[in-house]
Amino acid sequence: MEISKGWNARKKKQLQVIIAFTIVPLFLLILFTYYPFLEMIRYSFYNMKYIGPRKFVGWRNYVQVFTRPDIIRTLLLSLYYMVGSVVQVALALYLATIFCFKVKGENLWKGFIFFPYLINGIAIGFIFKFFYTRGFVLDTVLQVIGFDLENLPYWLKDQKINNWSLVFTSIWRYMGSNMVLFLGAMMSVDDTLYEAASLDGANKWQTFRHIILPSIKTIVTLNIILSITGSLSAFEPPYVITSGANGTGTFFVVMNDIAHTSQKVGLASAMAVFLLFVIIVAKFVQDALFKYIFRNADTDDESADVARARKKAQKAAARKAKGGA
Amino acid sequence: MAKTTAAKVRHHYSAGTIIWEIIKYASVILCSFIAILPIVSCVITAAKTPEEYQTTNVMTPPANWLNFSNYLEAFKTANMGTAFRNSLIILVFVLLGSIIIGTQLAYVLNRFKFPGNALIRNMFTFAALLPGIAMQVVVYEIMTNLHLVNTMYGYIIMMCGTDVMSIYIYIQYFENLPVSLDESAFMDGASYFRIFYSILLPLLKPAIVTNLILKGVGVYNEYYCANLYLQDKRALCTVATSLYTFTGPLGSQYNMICAGVIMSLLPALIVFIALQNQIYSGVAAGAVKG
Amino acid sequence: MKGRKLMSLGLAAVMVLGTLAGCGSGSSSGTADAPADSAGAAEATAEAEGGEAAGETEAADGALTYASVVLGETGTDLTATIKVLNHRTDMLQDSYPGTSWAEYLDAFHETYPGIEVDIEGITDYAQDSLLRLQGGDWGDVMMIPAIDSSQYADYFMPLGSLEEVSSLVRFVANSQYGGVVYGIPSTANAQGVLYNKKVFEQAGITELPKTGEEFIADLKLIKEKTDAIPLYTNYAAGWTMGAWDAYIGGTATGDSAYTNQKLAHTANPFSDPGDGSGAYNIYKVLYDAVAEGLTEDDYTTTDWEGCKGMINRGEIGTMVLGSWAYSQMQAAGDHPEDIGYMSFPITVGGKQYASAGPDYAFAINNSSSDDNKLAALIFVKWMTEKSGFSFNEAGIPISTADNDYPELYAAFEGIDYVSDDPALEGEEDLMSTLNADSELNFNSGGDKKVQAIVEHASNGDMTFDEIMEDWNAKWTDAQELNGVEILY
Repeated sequence: MEISKGWNARKKKQLQVIIAFTIVPLFLLILFTYYPFLEMIRYSFYNMKYIGPRKFVGWRNYVQVFTRPDIIRTLLLSLYYMVGSVVQVALALYLATIFCFKVKGENLWKGFIFFPYLINGIAIGFIFKFFYTRGFVLDTVLQVIGFDLENLPYWLKDQKINNWSLVFTSIWRYMGSNMVLFLGAMMSVDDTLYEAASLDGANKWQTFRHIILPSIKTIVTLNIILSITGSLSAFEPPYVITSGANGTGTFFVVMNDIAHTSQKVGLASAMAVFLLFVIIVAKFVQDALFKYIFRNADTDDESADVARARKKAQKAAARKAKGGA
Repeated sequence: MAKTTAAKVRHHYSAGTIIWEIIKYASVILCSFIAILPIVSCVITAAKTPEEYQTTNVMTPPANWLNFSNYLEAFKTANMGTAFRNSLIILVFVLLGSIIIGTQLAYVLNRFKFPGNALIRNMFTFAALLPGIAMQVVVYEIMTNLHLVNTMYGYIIMMCGTDVMSIYIYIQYFENLPVSLDESAFMDGASYFRIFYSILLPLLKPAIVTNLILKGVGVYNEYYCANLYLQDKRALCTVATSLYTFTGPLGSQYNMICAGVIMSLLPALIVFIALQNQIYSGVAAGAVKG
Repeated sequence: MKGRKLMSLGLAAVMVLGTLAGCGSGSSSGTADAPADSAGAAEATAEAEGGEAAGETEAADGALTYASVVLGETGTDLTATIKVLNHRTDMLQDSYPGTSWAEYLDAFHETYPGIEVDIEGITDYAQDSLLRLQGGDWGDVMMIPAIDSSQYADYFMPLGSLEEVSSLVRFVANSQYGGVVYGIPSTANAQGVLYNKKVFEQAGITELPKTGEEFIADLKLIKEKTDAIPLYTNYAAGWTMGAWDAYIGGTATGDSAYTNQKLAHTANPFSDPGDGSGAYNIYKVLYDAVAEGLTEDDYTTTDWEGCKGMINRGEIGTMVLGSWAYSQMQAAGDHPEDIGYMSFPITVGGKQYASAGPDYAFAINNSSSDDNKLAALIFVKWMTEKSGFSFNEAGIPISTADNDYPELYAAFEGIDYVSDDPALEGEEDLMSTLNADSELNFNSGGDKKVQAIVEHASNGDMTFDEIMEDWNAKWTDAQELNGVEILY
């Protein structure tokens, strides 16, 4: 009796703290995320401006999302950003690996490469408009290393190249943070493994293949998959540098335009819902893929490498001990 | 650390090693160069007089590196004094708010089993997938009806509310704190509130620092909602929105614009230099415990 | 362990998604939305409540209208602070070469020392002003943004009947609804083309072009014989491209009913009428100039502020902009005498026309306090009648008492001004509906479609006729969607 009463009192206290601690975050989440989300779904079935009458149009907005060539084109544009994000991950991986070994002035280099991550979007817009202007920064540097200005493209004008110019700014901005993320994962590997590999005469590639890669496989795969989803929602580079003009309008930029300039709130909402749908599908595919890739992660694949390396380390230690004696 | 030991052990250099060293430094130097080139070009241009800017190549070093007149002019034009003050206020309150809200929620989610626990987690996970851009249509309506538009506190409340990621970082750290800790405190008669505030919260410091950095970067650089909700651009400008002033009357006077850009980077640069390692571990926080 | 791993993956997922998309919790785009019903209702209640309180003063002084204010007499002892939202951010700079806001306000304070005017400049006025209007907290005076005229009464104070106000002020047709005026134009412009006289001289152009073909031929001469850029598009600024829309009405047709009454009911309005007139032949000038390489090298990095000095120095031959730009170009360098202004090179039935119409109009918040309303009205009337603002900005005089045209309008001798008629009753919002549904947005921020002309001309991936057909199709779709009767 006493115990159960105490138990109830405890439950009551728990309930108090649960309510006290969840009510504010939940309220904010519902107010600023879920309610707007549900409203947005509702709007997607209407033909409406911000103000003025609203007309229910059924699936018409969704039909437009799938049939309008300009919207379909924006989906193709995200391919640029997908390629860019793969490059970004690869480059980040490469640099992180380099920093796993001894590099003189490591902190300085790392600082340089990471710093762009801390710059705000508007500043990046200015910096790269300046950077790409004809005869300005990029052209000057390329001329110094021997290119002729005549042969250089117009970085933001030429539609064959301007999307790559924008993708580059995205890589420039986020590659450093990816690198630090990977480096964090690599550093979590036991020090003795590197020591052992080195003692064992493993070359750099072997070290990478058998020690570094297994330790970061998860985070790299995840990054690649997420980058692809993220490519669909690329927004800032075109928005701040070209305003989405000249064939650089991505899905979000075009959606933003439809919502602002033409005030087609319904169509813009339908586009948003569609994008969400794609992202959710991508997430399910990603989860499935993850389960498949890492189905035995804990037992064989990854830890087998680790175990092998550890054995080598032990052997090496034994040898060293012998040699010393 | 691993890398130092890895290299210390061997002292004779094979051809492979030398090539590797060359590749290593070439890569690092090239990437660093690319990373800072756009910024350096801004520093160069910011020190040029209007005449110099008109007549010299953008990469030609300025006659006087210590020409601060553009900085002064840009500071005045973009109202950056007010902008820095506002950004600081916003940072302090948003960070404070999100720490309190985030740690409390993570505590409850991690320590108590209750119906709805999983639901709340899923709600936050799903929220991270929602496209925020389009939803601002409705959010603006809500903000208007609550009379939160064009007020600093309205923006602060909204920024606290949109936080999703930090909760995950806190939960992750709570998992490392043994439950026996709260258990024994509870047996000693401490309330859950006390357990949270005086025992667990101090232990959460690394996670809090991580979140401070991540969220701080995001808030300091946030300009879209700031532009939307802090409409009086003189009194309520932030560093990010004040930069936007330069798209207007200054056109492409890049010597001035660059000065503004560089000034907006300075706080980030100072914090970065001071807290470099914490920032790295903050960014890497998601991966370390993998 | 497994759980923790998944959790950390979730965290990384959220982080990466945030960084790559560049629009996580932080930088999401935004738009304004205040549904008409709720906002309108709120306004209406406020009005009803305020109305009673205001009733007495109004009864005593008579209703406050534009006509009832006598400058120098009304409200000289009034003390108030009014806030004005304005698009002229350049005029807030000390370096502004013309008359700056500070100078206007000094002059205003000589008569009205008690009325403080706080001017807030908005960089991206067309969009931000809509947000401000819907947010409600915007001050006392603003320039009317692109909203349906049926919405005027929800936000702005009525300034008098159309009949009464138009006897005092020109060009109020666009800022009225149902015979009540809500806005007073700050200035008015004629639509023509800026050119540099010296460049024309060097190129050997002795007679100003009257048709698109003559114009293109002249641009070629400029390219051949001078170092100047024949036609500077100002592509990058966006709104400077949307400015081309201002020519498709009166200038291109000579018909004052075209823009607000006929365009909406016209079948395929962008087809070539064959006689060198019409919208087709306006945009064709732009397409041809770009296709023939008669514009700047890299349109994506054009510089709006920089172009002023360039045309002043003779580095630019022509720019297609309204007359408001004239004084800015003159003030931007040492050669104001070289700046010339001419009619758009298009001829309709052997005659040339120039659209003349209002710029942004001042409107007063209908939920401001009575004192502020009065102070705001005094300020607006003072700007219109006493400030010289319109003249200083090379505008057509606004006050009907003022017939002092700036000298550039001499260029329009023998050319008829066409001022747009208001929309027909019941069709006030038709154009804005068609604009939105077709996404062509004529004269309302449709910059992208004009930019696209430049892009296609430069890339050669779409002929001009194809572009116009595309516009026709969009226009027809919008007309069908709204069941618009085709009359022309």
